[in-house]
Amino acid sequence: MIRKTLAAAALTLLMSASAQAACGFQNTVPIRMLSAGFDAWKAVSSAMAECGNVQAELDQEFAKKHVAAFAANPALYHVGGVATETFVPLLNAGTIRPLDDLVAKYGKHLTPNQLIRVDGKIMAIAMMVNAQHLMYRKDILDQLGIPEPKSYADVMAAAAKIKAANAVPFPVGATMRTGWNLAQDFVNMYMGQGGAFFGEGNRPAVNGPAGIRTLETMKALTAFMDPEYLTGDSTFVQKQFQQGRIAMANFWASRAGALDDPKESTVVGKVKMAAAPIAVPGGKPATTVWWDGAVIAKNISDAEADAAFRVLMEGMDRQMVEANNNAAVWLVEGFKPSAAAEGAIATIQAGTPAYPASQRMGLLHSAIGSTVGDYFTGKLTAEAALKAVEDKYVTAAREAGLIR
Amino acid sequence: MKPRTFFAFVAPSLALMVLFIAFPLLSVLTQSFQNTQAVFTESRVEKCTPGFPNPICSQETILVAQRDASGRALTRTEFVGLDNYRKLLRTDDIARMVAEGRASLSALLAIDFFHALRFTLSFTFITLPFVIGLGLAIALALNATTRRLRGPVIFASLLPFIITPVIGALSIRWLFAGDGVLAGALSWAAGQRVSLFAQAWTIEAIMILYRIWHVAPFAFIIFYAGLQTLNQDTLESAIVDGASRWERLRYVILPHLMPLIIFVSLIHLMDSYRVFDEVVGFSSQAHVVSLQWLTFDLLTPDNTGNRAIGRASASSMLTMVGIVLLLIPLLKRTWRDHRGLR
Amino acid sequence: MADTRALAPSFGLKALTAGFLAVWVIVAVFPLAWTALMSFRYPVDALSGDPVKIVTGAFTLDHYRSVWIRYEFYRNFINSMIVTAGVVTISLTVGTLAGYALARTRSSLAFWLLIGALVFRALPHSVLVTGYLPPFLQSRELLMPLWTSPLTGWFFQLFSAAPPTLYGQPLAIIIVLVSINQPFTIWMMRSFFMNIPNELDEAARVDGCTHFGAFWRVIMPVMWPGVITTGLFSFLLAYNDYLVTALLLDAQSQTMVPAISSFLNRDTRGSDQIEAIAAAVSITAPLFLLVMVFQKQIVSGLTAGAVKG
Repeated sequence: MIRKTLAAAALTLLMSASAQAACGFQNTVPIRMLSAGFDAWKAVSSAMAECGNVQAELDQEFAKKHVAAFAANPALYHVGGVATETFVPLLNAGTIRPLDDLVAKYGKHLTPNQLIRVDGKIMAIAMMVNAQHLMYRKDILDQLGIPEPKSYADVMAAAAKIKAANAVPFPVGATMRTGWNLAQDFVNMYMGQGGAFFGEGNRPAVNGPAGIRTLETMKALTAFMDPEYLTGDSTFVQKQFQQGRIAMANFWASRAGALDDPKESTVVGKVKMAAAPIAVPGGKPATTVWWDGAVIAKNISDAEADAAFRVLMEGMDRQMVEANNNAAVWLVEGFKPSAAAEGAIATIQAGTPAYPASQRMGLLHSAIGSTVGDYFTGKLTAEAALKAVEDKYVTAAREAGLIR
Repeated sequence: MKPRTFFAFVAPSLALMVLFIAFPLLSVLTQSFQNTQAVFTESRVEKCTPGFPNPICSQETILVAQRDASGRALTRTEFVGLDNYRKLLRTDDIARMVAEGRASLSALLAIDFFHALRFTLSFTFITLPFVIGLGLAIALALNATTRRLRGPVIFASLLPFIITPVIGALSIRWLFAGDGVLAGALSWAAGQRVSLFAQAWTIEAIMILYRIWHVAPFAFIIFYAGLQTLNQDTLESAIVDGASRWERLRYVILPHLMPLIIFVSLIHLMDSYRVFDEVVGFSSQAHVVSLQWLTFDLLTPDNTGNRAIGRASASSMLTMVGIVLLLIPLLKRTWRDHRGLR
Repeated sequence: MADTRALAPSFGLKALTAGFLAVWVIVAVFPLAWTALMSFRYPVDALSGDPVKIVTGAFTLDHYRSVWIRYEFYRNFINSMIVTAGVVTISLTVGTLAGYALARTRSSLAFWLLIGALVFRALPHSVLVTGYLPPFLQSRELLMPLWTSPLTGWFFQLFSAAPPTLYGQPLAIIIVLVSINQPFTIWMMRSFFMNIPNELDEAARVDGCTHFGAFWRVIMPVMWPGVITTGLFSFLLAYNDYLVTALLLDAQSQTMVPAISSFLNRDTRGSDQIEAIAAAVSITAPLFLLVMVFQKQIVSGLTAGAVKG
């Protein structure tokens, strides 16, 4: 305990010495936060720390700890960093508090986009959006006389030309690592096909023509990918881009900045951001929109919640965004969209739906992620894979009491 | 030793093991016969998420947890007998396949549990002889070289064993994955691009190679220590009797090392039966998974907080039964030793 | 010894042996050496997949600087030292006592205890560890009855006014790691004690020592090789652990190994990956030292005892 207090005190001293002026007030209530650890959170948490007495934990395992840590009384953390999906369990468990009065008190500057409302009540404050959208090597496509691909048919045609010209080892990259990533790719494409995930009474509905078309499109694309695509996560695809090994990918907006970093990228200035391709004529872009933001725990005193929210607002202010403009596609006012954000904004403006996060979707997402890999390795046919997804989902949903 | 003294000596160790191993294990056993659900009501609400320029709002069904007077979320736990085991092993599907005459090994292996069991067992039994063989070979070779060389070679040999497993697996992966240097070398040698992480058998081979690389040093150091206690008189009388090098190995050295070979084999059986790091380190989930990975996967909540504790518990109980079966030879031996002491 | 004339191997065999050892040493060292090499290169070279670039690329200490200074890796290093020292000390104390008793008794209970320990040794850790997380996070509430009940309350309140939150407490993690490692420790210590003749403690007993006195004054002094060897295994377990420490420690008390994953899993830039590699090399360096210092003891310790059981 003593060691911890000392460490915290030392940390506080350091922080206050460096940038006391950056925070509008001196915080005296100890505030703890648990969130994911990517760049945007680093920016927000260090801006929060400038107010003093803030202990931020940026932990990759945060989602595993959130539910129990917020259910404790008093809660172990005051502020929680969440995203579209990880917001659901806290909301369902009822361990986060409505923020309407706090927003009225300290959050006048928040834009309507930042207020995540559930049933009319503000339950979370969003700070940024993220989406997978098309990134392509403009130099290569220009050279081969290929216009910007608008649909997956275009992507496939372009890939065939790039392959014939042998411009890069693999024309296409994708985040298709078995598990969460693969399922996310499936969800993107399936929503682009206009498919519905559920029928009556939480029954699954993926085993249909839209599901089969989704799998077939994905499989057709894999012909243009590195054969190790089932182990490829975002970092893998980013590396492929940076090393000039791929020419196109439907890839996370939050990674766009890294492709233009001369210290690690060989393709600086050559990658263009565009809206995600559509899957069917006249459809919406085949992707989903995600948000990241923060919640405040319920099991803490009102005074603590007040201080926590005030500190959080300091972390999500204009100054922070101005200092970290390219770290994310911010929703906070003061954000100036750079070339890196163009693709995400074009995607969202085309009416791309939000990721439909819910408990049942979580179960279905897991079932997809652990099953459809067998279709790509050739163990199962498309129908059999989708049936296996539904079986797995039904088993889990019965256990959870979603299907009676 | 009097029982009281015995207890006084053993108590701290026993208390720790009961509290942190036996007790959790007991709760796993209970949970494997139970199903716990949150008590909730569904309600249709308007949910808004960011969009440019205006937020997108839509009607959605959310589950609202019921809570008790103190604000704690309610859950309902019921005894479900062997349901979790049935669901894990998919016994209904198997019965149906048998009834329809479609039962086959490949259909059985398509079921996660049996797939994981197949991999876990083949991983365990393929690595075993290589670990023992390589460990023995290094120990014998080192014992036959000059003393001056021994220190540096022991040092180098121990590195793969002491290194943090996560880091060891990663450094091997960096060599073989994508454009790693050894993958590049293999591609160059084969004259075409070799993708080692693209199909099941190559991934399995790398996982096995990694495990051998990691554990053979342990076998080596134990065998090498054993060789130091070899009775030189026996060896010399064997030479006087005109035993060839091979005969000395076969009739003097191996029998002397036999208890150690059994010891290393058992430690290795236990460790490789719970193979897990390799699955994560080489992200082989698309192709092969192990029993412990399967349990871990069922047990880890997804991003919306769901997890299948019942099936995970059933899976870990079955894993345990498996390890006890594998250990029976050792248990028998220990029992004999113990009786011999009396 | 083995180098009497009759045993002298032929030249061909000598060459074969030397060749085999050389190949093995390369196989053993290459992956780590290559990784270490990558940690001194800029991402543009290190991640290029071109061995020539990796070998000849520009040298940099940037990644080490950023790992140790910017990301304050020394904090993780200190935490690792605390956890490791705690585990080794407690594990050896508790395990030596139990190992001694188990080696000197003939009751069937002892047998079943050993068998139980063996089965525990074989258990998949993830099963246990995932179960610890919720109670650790909520321990303050769960333990409250002990503090408020009139029977036990006064006792526990001697230590603290309210129950502790076990999550993130190095001491709690030390106890967990000791428990998980206990089966291996007692088996190992038992086989060391089995090799120390019973007559030794009987002689001490005749001289009027209690069991504990005999253990402490007569047995322990000859046990050091065994204690050091077992201690090294405990050290490796605690130092290398990922599963327990990743789940049960918070950012302030995080040890080095789980801290690496925050370099690897961060929404990464290429430099993060090289930083992860630099951190990995930093973690391995103390292990190097450890083996260098204790290499002789490992071999002599194993020779003295464990390998006979």
